[in-house]
Order: sequence, then structure tokens, then C-alpha cells
Amino acid sequence: MTSPRERRVLTAVLSIIAVAGCGGSDGANAGNNGIAPPDGANVVPIVVDSGPRGANGAPVGYVNGAFVTITVCIPGTANCQAIDHVLVDTGSSGLRLLANDGRAGGELSLQLPPLQDVGKNAVAECFQFVDGFTWGQVQLADVRVGGEMASGIAIQVIGEAAYPVPGQCLGVGNDEDTLEGASGLLANGILGVGLFVQDCGPACATDPAVAGSGNPGLYFACSSSASGGCVETSLPTAAQVSNPVSRFATDDNGVIVELPPVLAAGAATASGSLVFGIGTRSNNGLGNAVVIPVDDRGTFTTLFPGQGTRYPVSFIDSGSNGIYFLSSAVTGIPTCTGGSGIDSFYCPPSPLTLSAANQGAAGTPTVPVTFSIANAKALFDSNGAAFSNLGGQSVGSSSAHLPAAFDWGLPFFFGRNVFTAIEGAATPGGAGPYVAY
Amino acid sequence: MTTRSAIRLCAWLPALVLATVASSTPALAALGGDVSSVQKDRARFKASLQLSPTAHYSVHELRAPTGTLIREYVTGNGRVFGVTWQGPWRPDLRQLLGPYFADFQQAANAKRTGRNGPLSSRSSRLVIEMSGHPRAFQGRAYVPELVPAEVAEDEIQ
Repeated sequence: MTSPRERRVLTAVLSIIAVAGCGGSDGANAGNNGIAPPDGANVVPIVVDSGPRGANGAPVGYVNGAFVTITVCIPGTANCQAIDHVLVDTGSSGLRLLANDGRAGGELSLQLPPLQDVGKNAVAECFQFVDGFTWGQVQLADVRVGGEMASGIAIQVIGEAAYPVPGQCLGVGNDEDTLEGASGLLANGILGVGLFVQDCGPACATDPAVAGSGNPGLYFACSSSASGGCVETSLPTAAQVSNPVSRFATDDNGVIVELPPVLAAGAATASGSLVFGIGTRSNNGLGNAVVIPVDDRGTFTTLFPGQGTRYPVSFIDSGSNGIYFLSSAVTGIPTCTGGSGIDSFYCPPSPLTLSAANQGAAGTPTVPVTFSIANAKALFDSNGAAFSNLGGQSVGSSSAHLPAAFDWGLPFFFGRNVFTAIEGAATPGGAGPYVAY
Repeated sequence: MTTRSAIRLCAWLPALVLATVASSTPALAALGGDVSSVQKDRARFKASLQLSPTAHYSVHELRAPTGTLIREYVTGNGRVFGVTWQGPWRPDLRQLLGPYFADFQQAANAKRTGRNGPLSSRSSRLVIEMSGHPRAFQGRAYVPELVPAEVAEDEIQ
């Protein structure tokens, strides 16, 4: 922990380093061939390691987590705090940080100003991830990542205990409001640098009390800390938790995640870069990457095997830690045995090389992809943290009514530069939203 | 490659049911409950309802104004044996899974790598699968012992 004064000095030093680093090289393909990583104010290092330290002093044991250090400041001031091991998540939008409040076990101790509605109620959010939720107040911060800054944006502070989790929120999944524990984040926060400008968008700006409202009830107005003190509310899009990249002064149209290849046996760590902007500088051009447009849900179609069956609602997501697809019954790949919660991962007796293709949401282009699936139990037993061949089951039905999806998680990113363009943003590859690789 | 059932969706005989909101009393469970619980879900999710009977079960399709589509699979004698959902946000699973919500929580907590991938869990009490990301979630859950013998599990979709 640093004192506020130390933090101010540190921030000043970091700012100088950031400004001094504005050279920039053409690093758009650095992840593929091992040449020097890009530098510049729009670049921040990514580390893939075992995650932040938990209560016992040892890393929490994250597998395939891509982490960056970010800095949050009270808006308009130099009163800042750096937070390490924030997960880079191209599958969501918005910054969420775990509070340092004892139960949550996160790092954020800086007291940020709360977002309030017109009635001076505190605004809180119940945000959904794949089988859980994060609950906490919406607060305002200047968010610095590398040399970029998003000024005065709304972020979610997870796990601060001012308001109990509303019943509606408890119903959407498991509570992920802690660092450790069975459904803990295993990260000090989530940096959502995905396809959308806001985490929710126009639906959350509609009045939930109006009949037929499409408001999904993510945002709450909290008038008291008593049970029932938080009620579902609307929030204008401009006030919602937003993708920090979309609020940068420059380099605001998307990101590149650049990770090097890792050996088939995995690695204890891997180092790469999170690059801001697409085609805005000499170090973030599309190069040979092919643009795959996505629909308004952020999804495209994966064809598998080869160019066979179509699996719509597929997505690329650095925040997923494996390549998750179909089921053992569909793929014929055996799952792991032996318990320890690994029985939904694939455990082929020897590594498999598989072929698929990713197709734009409107039918073009069709981009081949080969990927590898190794024995997940052997990977976990190696105690590594970076694996390009970890995979498991997802929703197994292949029907048109509940479409099966390919979840191209972090293993897909190793050895590739993966672009995520924000909805509505202009880029040399056309307007977002799209993914490209 | 894929295991598709013999009974296809095209065999369904869709019929629109003009239903009224049953009540605003505390909702009962859907999964494992009787068919009347579908009406409670309909009220909770403020959804429109469409009923599609098949030879061995009926499908009650709830479309919520949030864009989320919920299907509840009901046996001939009125038990809800499976539910599915897809849409930008998840429905209230406590409502939808009822007595099986705790089984879901236990399954989600048992995952080796915490929260960082989809859920695919199979036990004798509950099969549950959940995938997706914010703005595109999907999932299904069913109770194996309630699934009619003539029905392939892949029909729950």
C-alpha cells in the first residue's frame, strides 16, 4: 500500500514515462513473430500469470488470465491509486474494481465520489457474467491505462458493503463479489474493453416502471442500506458504466490484445501488450488481420469441424480462460475425470489439432482457424498459468432454438494479435463493432 | 456428428394462448413445479406466452420485453421438466429453477477455474449448461428423472 502522497509522486512519474514513451514502432504483428513489443502512450503491458496474491500471500492460482495495471484517480485530482492484476476482458465493457473492504479482499481503497441520481440516491449495479453477478456502487473516476485517460467515467466498485445485494440480483447467479472463494473474481478487477460503449446500453435508460419496458434491471437507486433500500432504476446511457477506451481522448476506437505463442506444455507466465486504438498510430494498424463483423449482441458464426456445422452466437473473449465449445457427446472428445471440478474440461489422451472457421455475422468473410486441445488435467497438474490449448464443454445443444456457441477464450489469443473494434467507431477496417485477427 | 432428435421442431403445432396474468402473489418455482407455475413466471418476467404442444410434452414460450426468450417444457401430466433461456440478460434463475437453484449454485461453485468459463454440469438431480457474455447469454436446465422416456434430452433447447 502506498500513501496518497507517494501515489501522487508515483502517478507524476508514470505520467512522465508515458509521455516520454511516444515513439511507437509497427508492432501490430509483434505477437506472432517475437519481435520487440510495441511501445507508446497507447500501450500497456499484459502479464499472464497466476493472479494477484490472496489472503495467504500466494497467488490465487488463476489459469489463463491476462492482467494489466491501471490507475484510478478522484476526478480532476492527482489523488490516485494504482491497481494491479485487473483482468483484460474483451467480452464485457466497463471497469469494475474490487473494494479493499475486508470481505471483498480487493485493492481499491481510494474513496471515489459516488454517482447519484437526480434524487441524490446512490446508484448501484448488478452486472451479469456467465453464471454470476457483481454487485456494488457506481462511482466516478479518472481512469488511466498506460498513457491514456478516460476522465470522470462511471465504474463499478464491487463488494463495498454500503448496500446489501437486492433479491433480484441474487436470483441471476452466484455472488462474485470477492477476490477468493468458490466464485471469487481471482482478480482485483475487470477491465471491460469489449465491443460496446456502455455495459448495458439504451435498454437500461428506459423506465422500468413503464409497462413493456425492456429495462433488464441492472441499475438500482439506493436510498437506504436497509433491505429493500435499492430499487431498479433507469440510467441514461451517458451515465452508465462505460468502456474506458471509448472515453479516451485519442485511440478510442478499439483495442488490440497481443500475446506471444506459448509452448504446448504451457508456461508459468507470458508477457504481451494491450494496445489502444486501431489504425490511429503507426503501432496499431490492422496489417494482415481480417475483419469479422459481429451483430448487435457481439456475436458471429463459427463453422466446425472444418467448415461444417454452423454455430451462431460465437464470440472471442479474452476474459474466458479456455476455448469452450459444444459437448463431449457432440465432439467425441473425452472430458476429464477425477473430480476437482475439472470434469467439464476436455481431456483427450493426446493433443488434438482442430480446424474451424469464423464467419462474419452477415455471412462474410469466412476466416479459417486452427486450434489445439490438450489434456486439461495434465495442464492443470503442471501448475502453469498460460495455456494455448485448454478447452472444455459449453452449452451442448446444437439446435437452432438454443444455438451452441464457440467461446474463443484466451488460448485463442496466444500467438495472435486480436482486434476488438467498438460499436459505431470509425476504423480503417470500417466501423465497429467487429473482431479481427 | 451431432445428436439430433427424431422429433423436430417443424412437427410442432403452435397455438397462441390468450392468457391472463394469474396473480401478483409470491411466485412459485417453475422447474419441477406444476404447469400453473408457468403463469407465475409469466407474471414475474412480464412476458407474452405461446404454447406449442407436441406428442409427449408442451413447450411454453415466454418472451420478456427485455428480449430474453424463456422456454418451459411441460409433461403431459403437467410437470415442468426443463427450462431454457437466451437473450441479452439472464432471467431470475431463482424463479426459473425453483428448488434446483441451490443445485445450480453448488455446480457453479464447483468449477475448477471459478467464474472464467461457461457452466456445464450434470448430476442425477439437475443438468445445467450456461454460456455467453454480457448482451448474449444462454442456458438450459432439466431434471433428468422428470424427462419423459420418449423425449431426447437434446429436445430441451
